[in-house]
Amino acid sequence: MVEADPIADLLSRIAAQDRAALTKLYAATSAKLMGVMIRMLRDRTEAEDAVQEVFIRVWLRAGRYDPAKGRGMTWMIAVARNLALDRLRRRIEDQAPEHAAEAIVDQAPTAERRLIAMGEAGRVADCFDQLEPSKADAVRGAYLSGLSYVALAERHNVPLNTMRTWLRRGLISLKECLDK
Amino acid sequence: MTGARAPSQEDDLLAAEYVLGVQDAETRATLEQRIKRDAVFAGLVTNWENRLAGLNEDYIEEPAPDLLPKIEAQLFPVMVSGGRRRLGWFAYVTAAAAAVAIALAAFIVENPLRPGLAPLLITLASADLAYEVRADGTTLHVKRVLGGPAPAGEVHELWLIAPGASPVSLGLLGDAPLQVAYPVPPAGWALAVSVEPAGGAPRSLPSGPVILANVIGS
Repeated sequence: MVEADPIADLLSRIAAQDRAALTKLYAATSAKLMGVMIRMLRDRTEAEDAVQEVFIRVWLRAGRYDPAKGRGMTWMIAVARNLALDRLRRRIEDQAPEHAAEAIVDQAPTAERRLIAMGEAGRVADCFDQLEPSKADAVRGAYLSGLSYVALAERHNVPLNTMRTWLRRGLISLKECLDK
Repeated sequence: MTGARAPSQEDDLLAAEYVLGVQDAETRATLEQRIKRDAVFAGLVTNWENRLAGLNEDYIEEPAPDLLPKIEAQLFPVMVSGGRRRLGWFAYVTAAAAAVAIALAAFIVENPLRPGLAPLLITLASADLAYEVRADGTTLHVKRVLGGPAPAGEVHELWLIAPGASPVSLGLLGDAPLQVAYPVPPAGWALAVSVEPAGGAPRSLPSGPVILANVIGS
């Protein structure tokens, strides 16, 4: 993969303690990370606080990023999602899951459409299309909004273990399709 | 060395669930530890991050306010920021520290084993809170020199971060100075203070906001 990855370049400069690179990275990625945090935490003030913490972590951990293993933005979003997930799981066991479910229903279908438009990620969209719609919806909801098994089970009105078995089957099909 | 063991499907699904984020806090904490120790498992996690990265397109960009000054103030509390006031304050602390150092240098001759006289390694400071870290080669001595402890129910926790490594907790910072058996960390390593629930971070990584940080030798 010889594709240009400007974010990866900035991360390697940050690993070498280059402060100007941090400024550039903020300009290039803060809006996207803010989008991640607002979607997952559903609270603007907390999202801002979390974005701030993401950049602290990125500065301290940039040396761990390996461009051979993935794109810079993918790594940044993983750092951001993990931070959001930690915060969500610390909240009282998934308060108001109905609320979370609404968030998914509102926004769900746009992913595929945009992915198809992108071409590069078209395969993800194709593979989601091959899943049962409710499974695709559960995987997407978990990934994008940070829903837990507890919240998903409640939403689909099934026992937690059933939810888990069912989602795992979805993941196996998804992997088979994506790795083809 | 890696790749000798074929990963099981169970591990692969655990990695997928970790990336999705569906597990509870306890499972996530266990798997985070495993990611650090087990390169094969860490690879499974990275593969799932890449597989699902296409979904990231669905996160809609939202303009963020300019948080950079706050971020820089946390990462580089001394050099950056609102200019004179902070700088003036820092100069004051430096001068005070120098004065104390001179006084102590005089004193150390008489009391060579007294702790707290070790050379200043680094200061972690914001406008209203500062910790001083001294290192004598076998022990780090950490003392709050400005501001107060964390609010009730919370505690300040000190972290050491080697380049490219995960933060390691050095302990909780209460009212009494903290002493940790540790050699002098080299330049380029960072120290940070986070706010944690009473008793400290529930797992081995900072869970609350990082309020102070500084890189040794910067």
